Amino acid sequence: MSAENTAHDNLFLPREARIIRTSRPTPSEKHFTLQLADRSVLDFVPGQILEVGVMGYGESPIGLASSPTRTDSFDIVVRTVGRVTTAINSKEVGDSLWIRGPLGHGFDLDELRGHDVLIVAGGIGLCPTRSLIQYIEDRPEEFGRFTLFYGARDPLQLLFTEDRVEWRRSSKVDYYETVDRADATWTGNVGVIPTLFHKTQHIDPDTRVVICGPPIMFKYVLIELDKLGIPRENIFVDLERRMKCGVGKCGHCQINDKYCCIDGPVFTFAKIWELEEAI
Amino acid sequence: MSAYFIEARDFEPWVDGLRESMRVIGPVAKRKKFVFAEIESACDLRLDYDVTILPPKKVFFPPKQQILAFDANSVSDCIDPVPTVLLGVHFYDVKGLDMTDFLLRERFEDWNYLAQREATTIIASNVQAIGPRAFWGSVGTEMVPRGHDAFLTRVCDGYVLETLSDKGEALAGLEKFRAATEAEIAEAEKVNAEVMDKCSELMPYSSREIATRVRESFSNEELWDDLAMDCFSCGSCNIVCPTCYCFDVRDSWNIDQTTGQRTRYWDACLTREFAAVTMAGGQKENFREHHASRFRHRFMRKAAYLHDKLGGPACTGCGRCSAACTANIADPVRVINTIMGVEQ
Repeated sequence: MSAENTAHDNLFLPREARIIRTSRPTPSEKHFTLQLADRSVLDFVPGQILEVGVMGYGESPIGLASSPTRTDSFDIVVRTVGRVTTAINSKEVGDSLWIRGPLGHGFDLDELRGHDVLIVAGGIGLCPTRSLIQYIEDRPEEFGRFTLFYGARDPLQLLFTEDRVEWRRSSKVDYYETVDRADATWTGNVGVIPTLFHKTQHIDPDTRVVICGPPIMFKYVLIELDKLGIPRENIFVDLERRMKCGVGKCGHCQINDKYCCIDGPVFTFAKIWELEEAI
Repeated sequence: MSAYFIEARDFEPWVDGLRESMRVIGPVAKRKKFVFAEIESACDLRLDYDVTILPPKKVFFPPKQQILAFDANSVSDCIDPVPTVLLGVHFYDVKGLDMTDFLLRERFEDWNYLAQREATTIIASNVQAIGPRAFWGSVGTEMVPRGHDAFLTRVCDGYVLETLSDKGEALAGLEKFRAATEAEIAEAEKVNAEVMDKCSELMPYSSREIATRVRESFSNEELWDDLAMDCFSCGSCNIVCPTCYCFDVRDSWNIDQTTGQRTRYWDACLTREFAAVTMAGGQKENFREHHASRFRHRFMRKAAYLHDKLGGPACTGCGRCSAACTANIADPVRVINTIMGVEQ
C-alpha cells in the first residue's frame, strides 16, 4: 500500500484541502468534493480512508468516496453524528478541511481484476464502496460482470441520487436496490439487503464480493454468500472502528491483534472470520 | 564497550557536572514513593528506589503532549526535543522503553516520541531495593534489556559504569572515571545476578507457553468474567504500565479563539468508551462493551498479541499495575497463574 512514512515527519501534520463542491443528499449527510490546496493529486487505492479534520475540533476517519482514476478532485461523504462531524459539515465551498492520508489498506484490486465482482453496500457503506464502483465503471475491461446491491433504511436515506439513476441505465453494472421500509412514493424493492440475493440469478461462485455496511448486515449477507458457495478468501469486508490516529498507534480501533486503521479497514473475510471481536 | 569505575565521593559531583550541559532526569523521592523528575541537585537522586509511580516512558511520551499548533490559516508541528540524560532506569524499565521504541517506530515512525528518544542518553542502574509487587525475575526472561547507553552498578566503594554505545562512552570521558578492574566488574556482575531471585512474586512458565494458553482462553467467558469481576474500568493498570501507549487526541482553543493546539493524552483500553463509535442519531456501537472483554483485551495484548512482534510478553514485571489496581485484581501473576492452572 502506498505512503508509509519514512521521513522525520510529524505523522499528525495534516494537509489543507479546499472544498470545491458540496451537496446534502440527506439531512444528516454532506457530500464534499475536495482538492489539495497545493494542487497535488491525492494518490490512493479505493477503500483507503482519510482522517478529516477541522482544527479546534478534531479528526474523524472517513472513507474516500471517489475513484483515484478521477484525478481532478476527490470526494468524501460525512454523516453528522458528533462534535467533529458537525464541525466538518458546517464547512462550505471555499472553506478548507485538514486531511491526513490516504491511510489504511484498501481493496485488493489485483484480487478483484479478471473476476466477476459483487458489491453489497448498506446505508452509509455505499460511500467508501463508491470509490471502487467508480473505479470499475472507469475500467470495465479489467473486471468481469459487475453487480451492485444497495440498501437503506427508507427512501429518504438513499444516497447519490444521480449515480443511482446512471447505474440503473448503465450496461456496466447490474444494479439492485432496496429499502427496509417503504413510503408512499416508493415503488421498488422492500426488504433487507439479503433479500436482493433472490432477485438475481447470476452470481457465480468465483465472484469476488465486497461488503460494507452496518455490523448487523454482515452476518446475514455472509449467510447468503455461504449458500452460494463463495469461499471466504474471495470476500472482502470493509469494517468500521474508532480509527483515531489512523497510523496504528493509538489503540482504539484494535480488533484482536489487528489494527483496523492500518491492517484494514478492508480485510479478506478469510483473514478475520476466526478473529474474535471482528464481526 | 568498556567498563569504568568512579569512587562514591566523586559520583554526585559527576552528576552535577552532567547537569551543567543538559537536563538530567532521575528517580527522586515523593513522600514515601519515588518518581522520575528533573534533578535539581545530585543529592536528590535516589538510586536506592524500589519502583517509581510512573515508568520513565513519560520522558518521551508525556501524559499530555502537544502535537500540533494552529492558527486561522496554518498548522505546524511541535517536535522540539530537549537534550537529556535519563539516569537510574532499572533494567525492567529499560525493557519497557525498548518495547515502546519498537512499537512507536514500526510501520509508521512517530517522531513526537522518537525525537526526544534520540536526544536522550539512558543510564540504567542496578536494582538496590525491590518493589513489593515486582515479579521481573520470572517474566519475559528471554527479553534482554537493550537500548540503554550505559549501565551503572553500585559496588562497595563506588560505581561501575559499563558503556554500551558512543553516547554512553561520551559520559565517561570525564576525569573522575578510570578503567574498572576485573574484580570490580565481577562484583557488579554478581550484584546484578543475585537480585534476579529476590522478587516475592513468581510466574513460573515460559512466555511462549503463556502466550499460547492465554490465546486459547479467549472464549472461556466464565474465566474472564471471574477474573474481571471486580473491575471498575478505571484504567489505573493502563496508566502506570511501561508498555501501554494508547492515546486520545483532543483539540483546544487559546483564549483568542483563533489559535489553539492539538494534544494527545494517555488513554486506557479498560475504560468504558475506549472502543465505542458514535453512530447515526448519537447511538454508540461499543466494540468492547463489557468490562470483562476490556480486561481480557489488555491481557491478550500483553501476553499474546504483542508477543510475536516483540519476541516476548509486553510485560516487564514491574508490578505497578498490581499496586495501582483499585480492586486489586490486575496483578498479572494472579491472572496468568490462574489461566495456566485452568483445565483446557
